[in-house]
Amino acid sequence: MIQKKVCMVGVYGTGKTSLVQRYVHSLFSAKYHSTVGVKIDRKAVQVGDTPVNLLLWDVEGHTDEQDIPASYLRGAHAVFYVADGTRRETFEQLFDLREHARAAAGDVPAIVALNKSDLKEKWLVSSADTSKLISGGFHVLTTSAKSGEGVEDAFRLLAIATLSPSVSPTTQPPVRHGN
Amino acid sequence: MANDGVPGTANAGGTGSTSSPSGSGDMSVRELTELRELLFGGERRQLEELRRRLDTAEISSEELAEKLPQAIIHRAARDRQLAIALAPTVESAISESVRRNPREIATAIFPVLGPSIRKAIAETMAGLVNTINRAIDHSLSRRGIRWRLESWRTGVPFAQIVIRHALVYRVEQVFLVHAETGLLLAHVPEGTSRDADLISGMLTAIGDFVNDSFEPKQTGELRAFAAGDVTVLVEPGPQAYVAAVVRGTPPETLPLKLQTTVETIHLQWSNPLTSFDGECTPFATTAPLLEECIETVLATDQAARRKGLRQFAWAIPVVLIVAAVAWWWTRGARRWNEMLTRLETEPGIAVIRSERSGGKWRLTGMRDPLATNPAALMTAAGIDTTDVVAQWEPYVSTEPALILARARRVLAPPGGVTLTLTGDLLTAAGRAPAAWIVRAEGLAPALAGVASVDFSRVSPGLPAAMETPATEIEQAHVLFAPGADALDIPALAAITELATRWVRLTTAARTNRYDVTLQIVGRADPTGAESDNLALSRRRAVAVRDRLVVLGIPTRQLAVDATGSNDPLPAENPAERARLNRSASFAVLAQPSARAGGAERVR
Repeated sequence: MIQKKVCMVGVYGTGKTSLVQRYVHSLFSAKYHSTVGVKIDRKAVQVGDTPVNLLLWDVEGHTDEQDIPASYLRGAHAVFYVADGTRRETFEQLFDLREHARAAAGDVPAIVALNKSDLKEKWLVSSADTSKLISGGFHVLTTSAKSGEGVEDAFRLLAIATLSPSVSPTTQPPVRHGN
Repeated sequence: MANDGVPGTANAGGTGSTSSPSGSGDMSVRELTELRELLFGGERRQLEELRRRLDTAEISSEELAEKLPQAIIHRAARDRQLAIALAPTVESAISESVRRNPREIATAIFPVLGPSIRKAIAETMAGLVNTINRAIDHSLSRRGIRWRLESWRTGVPFAQIVIRHALVYRVEQVFLVHAETGLLLAHVPEGTSRDADLISGMLTAIGDFVNDSFEPKQTGELRAFAAGDVTVLVEPGPQAYVAAVVRGTPPETLPLKLQTTVETIHLQWSNPLTSFDGECTPFATTAPLLEECIETVLATDQAARRKGLRQFAWAIPVVLIVAAVAWWWTRGARRWNEMLTRLETEPGIAVIRSERSGGKWRLTGMRDPLATNPAALMTAAGIDTTDVVAQWEPYVSTEPALILARARRVLAPPGGVTLTLTGDLLTAAGRAPAAWIVRAEGLAPALAGVASVDFSRVSPGLPAAMETPATEIEQAHVLFAPGADALDIPALAAITELATRWVRLTTAARTNRYDVTLQIVGRADPTGAESDNLALSRRRAVAVRDRLVVLGIPTRQLAVDATGSNDPLPAENPAERARLNRSASFAVLAQPSARAGGAERVR
């Protein structure tokens, strides 16, 4: 059995919690966020013949990246960023969050889920923005916690990235990206 | 270097210029060699010296001796590889030492061996005793029965009921967690929690949370936290930590046990820990080590010890009540048995059978007619004689007390005589009328239980109580003037005193069953004719008798006699004798009362 520690980082209101609630196995309730500041869930992913358990450290996000305790990021095999495609400021904060995570966890594989892809009419992140993310070292997907679009792909890509860290996800073609 | 080079260079230049045209090949090689020697000779020699030192063992050892202690310290501080590497050698060395000279090692470890053995034995014995105590306690106690009932009622196995009620602590789960990532490396018991990986992550997060929140870098790390009766003990290590979930109160020894486990894991799984990247398969083999931490300790022996004798406190009043009731119920029987014992010891009574039937005591036995009345003995012992049906057969007892009683009854000894029995010899002592002595001597040998008699210590006479007044009476005289029979003042006084003594004597005689008569003897001095003297003496006796009758003495107790001048009372001289015999003297006639036989004059 292979396990990987994955930190889920995202600004408040990006739908991160919805992703977790619907697509991963949870043992602990959301109140852990308000008490301990983190809650841990498990996402089982099959990569070829290898079962991989992603232990998701769902860190409570705030507007300020300083709120994310460095100790929760330490030792992470990958970081899962969540941004809201309908709120541009969540996209812009990703770079600051990335710096913060890098300081604590090192240069580990990173993936960005641009969430709420079901609200395309309100979408504010352009393909230029996406390209900027990719060139900045992120792997980018669009997801919808509501429809489930891209969610499973995101986790599977993350698992692959952690299994072969020598292959940067940025060099892989994106599974799908928004707009 | 400079000295070597300068002449060499000059020499080489000179040789080269002269020989170069003729044999340039040989010369050039030689020159080159020389040139090399000139240019690099010093370095080459240094190089050879270095090589020699590298190749020569002595120099290496010397250097090693310099470096070794420091090297060991450095390596030991870094990890345990040195210890692992040395372990087999040290083990072999010790084995070899023991094989060659066991005394050396034995002497060295003696100070630690004794206490260790004692401790091990004590712990084993304590464990054994606890096991026995617990088994007895559980199977026999009220609590044990109650738990069995609970088990039967709820369908839960008895063992679980015991654990639920008697648990001191139980190590339920042990996690081995990678310190940095919080990923689960191993978990025992297997299959107890599907989400052990999430829990281990959360444990790590909580540890981080405490670290971040309360800055325990000064105070230490999170080692334990508790909720309700569950405590989580965390034993940290550099690369992994062990967390034990404990229900109940964990003992002080548990952290030490966990610490040993962490150390062992760091030692034996050093490589998988260092290179850990999410693959937890290598740690499956830590399970047996972790399972050693799983244990359950019950409180039953502690509780039993604490309660001790106090748990039997309730029994004290119960025992007292039972004892009181039993005492009350058996009181009648005990009284009866006491009375039987008393009867058995009573002379002349032989109990043959005693039984309780129909609410009454039934008693069968034999009784000498002279023995104490058994009914009186029963009453004295507090037995209600209306509850007793007794049947006594008469018999003659030969017990000494009964033989004596029979002798007294038959012989009726006067008050001055005591009878004693020595074996079958009946002895009488004291003073008794001669007639009684004769009669008793004849009767006594015929008594049952008496083989011979000894009456030699019985002297004939009155009983002591009668003797004194009788003697006083017989020594008294009522004196008369010559030729006169009238009572003068001293004579009247003497008669009054005599009457008093007579009353005393008759009282004593009644007690001693004697009949007494006062004989008044009239006397006269030798002067004159004997016939006149006899008449005078009779008148004198009658005068005294009449006066005693006046004083209240019954006539039937009085007898009159006259001697004249015959049988005179003795005296020292004739004049005194004449005076003493102008008188009335007295004699006491005593005989045992009518029942004892005929009259006897004792004086």
